[in-house]
Amino acid sequence: MTKKEKPNGLTRRELLATAGAATAAMTMGIRPAFATDTLKVGFISPRTGPLAGFGETDGYVLEVVRKALANGIDIAGKTYAVEILDQDTQSDPSRAGQLAKDLINNQAIDLMLVVSTPETINPVADACEAAGVPCLSTVMPWEAWYFGRGAKPGEPSPFKWTYHFGFGVGEFHKTYVSQWKLIETNRKVGVMYPNDADGNAIRANLAPLLQKDGFTIVDPGAYETGTTDFSSQIALFKQEGVEIINTFPIPPDFATFWRQAAQQGLHRQVKIVQVAKTGLFPSGVEALGNLGIKLGSAAYWHKAFPYKSSVAGVSGTELADGYEAASGKQWTQQLGATLSLFDAGFDALKKTPDPKSKEAVAKSLSTLNTVTIAGKVDFTSGPVPNVSPGPIIGTQWVKAAEGAKFPLDYVVTENATDPNVPVGATLLSYNG
Amino acid sequence: MTNQIVQGILLGGYYALIACGLSFMFSVMRIINLAHGSLAVAAAYLIFVLSERAQLPLWACFIVAVAVMAVAGWLIQRLILDRSARGGQLLPILSTFGLSMVIENALFEQFGADTRSLASAIGDLSWDSWELPGGLYVGKLPVLIFVTAVVLLAGLQLMLSYTRIGRAIRATAEDPDTAGLVGIDARRVNAVAAAITLVTVTIAGMFLGMRATFEPYSGAPQLLFAFEASVIGGAGSLWGTLAGGIILGLAQTCGASLHPLGFLIAGHGVFLIILFARLMFPDLASMPARLIRRGAAA
Repeated sequence: MTKKEKPNGLTRRELLATAGAATAAMTMGIRPAFATDTLKVGFISPRTGPLAGFGETDGYVLEVVRKALANGIDIAGKTYAVEILDQDTQSDPSRAGQLAKDLINNQAIDLMLVVSTPETINPVADACEAAGVPCLSTVMPWEAWYFGRGAKPGEPSPFKWTYHFGFGVGEFHKTYVSQWKLIETNRKVGVMYPNDADGNAIRANLAPLLQKDGFTIVDPGAYETGTTDFSSQIALFKQEGVEIINTFPIPPDFATFWRQAAQQGLHRQVKIVQVAKTGLFPSGVEALGNLGIKLGSAAYWHKAFPYKSSVAGVSGTELADGYEAASGKQWTQQLGATLSLFDAGFDALKKTPDPKSKEAVAKSLSTLNTVTIAGKVDFTSGPVPNVSPGPIIGTQWVKAAEGAKFPLDYVVTENATDPNVPVGATLLSYNG
Repeated sequence: MTNQIVQGILLGGYYALIACGLSFMFSVMRIINLAHGSLAVAAAYLIFVLSERAQLPLWACFIVAVAVMAVAGWLIQRLILDRSARGGQLLPILSTFGLSMVIENALFEQFGADTRSLASAIGDLSWDSWELPGGLYVGKLPVLIFVTAVVLLAGLQLMLSYTRIGRAIRATAEDPDTAGLVGIDARRVNAVAAAITLVTVTIAGMFLGMRATFEPYSGAPQLLFAFEASVIGGAGSLWGTLAGGIILGLAQTCGASLHPLGFLIAGHGVFLIILFARLMFPDLASMPARLIRRGAAA
């Protein structure tokens, strides 16, 4: 610091020139032109109502994303300001559709992002497809998104504007086979699939695949959501001597089922209890008390994922720790899933020459091949157009170490669908 | 099959317990309380907060919650139901509907969407069981719930039959104006009855939290089963509520043993059959009693 240097910033003359030009521009009424330089991105998720568990962490993720994009993004040599318009469906599918139409017609959004469950995603994707607005989504089985919205197997994709990434039945199959082979069992699987969109899709598509791999499926038949007594199913599972249980229930149904199963002594006989849809978030597992420990689960994101967010630059651990510090609550797998949607969405915007052109954005989505905080998103090589399958990693809820901040720990037990994710623990037998 | 029947009867006890307040309120005040389920969930949250955050033992939480909810019942009757009753018969029902919305969303604002349970407060009782001869298991908690339902209904019945306030409540239910002539203040009596209702709702909410899980919006399914049980049992009759709960529980478990989808359908089916039978043969409900009387006379 001995030599006198020319300051790095603007010289006095440059400053005056810039300020003069800016003032001139403003007085001459060019200001509205700035408005077209703002990218408007709609974000729809369930923040309240029965699905609110999914949306609970969205506030934090939005904060992280908005902070990272506070200075706008550079696309094709131009800086755009970013405005994210977030909306809450209140877990209501028809409201989701209305919100989408409002964002499209009244806010003139350039890209729609929508996350979590068929009830949220499908109505929004349909509205976008109808209005010709690019839409990207994640966190629901892709089969229910693709075939559930009218696409036919073997035919060209009917969708031009909507794209979805994330797990599907094929990933569940790989994960379950890999997870269930970790422990010696009699390979008899008692299944509890409800009579709803997910349950029926799983029964029709997953069960036959599992049977092919040598598992015997004991299926008492579909039950209605809201059932308060499961004694007939429990009796069948006991009689058949199943050692693996696989369920896709909503959380209150699982609590009722599994407590009753324990009353009937079923919990002493099973070695693996593999739950999906329930047991995604720590609060639901804690509510089960001791019965929640050693439940098997599958995660679409885990803080051990070795990727960084392309939008926010944070790693999985940083994201989880940041959330815990900000909210005082335990991290959940939804954090990374929601952030991955922003990663993929903004990457598609960045890779287009003209982000204000809906055609160009949709084209950019169709050729998107990127890595988000939740892993690879690649629309160039999916099983069907418009879909990029993503991982679902086998996990287990275990008692946290003494002195930990939260009572339960969520550990990775297998990684068949994304070998980059480190396996953190061996699967423990439920009755062991 | 024996197992299914035993489980069905125990389940019926749970339904009777949640229906108890609904049917008591209807019998006394002729109001169908659509906030019943939400109030039970609110009581469960109250107990949850006291036991998790304030670390009180469960019995203390329960006593505090009962007191708070009784006061709440009094206030609901005085501030909402009394006033809306002046606007005609439909208005109190609509205002209880509004009340349930307010409660659900207030709970959501306060507690968020997390699934809660009172199971941690009772440890392994939530899934402990007794093994009976013949490989039959009965859960300790369902038995406790059943016994509580019977005791509660018996207590309410005794109170209505033998105490001063019970007689006042019955008189007001029959004819508030005439009751007023002999010095019974109908508004006061109704407020007491509402407070008693909310005590039963608190008990129901506590067992709901122990038996399953709850979140702010889980009141509606509870209301549905409570409503069915009380209608099957003959709305307003306390022992009928127990019978109604057991019939509903048995229908559901038997339906489920035919096919798991039969669980809810069988319950709803029995509910509708009994409802229509009531409408078409109004004196069917008292038939068993008359048959017994005739048998005794012969």
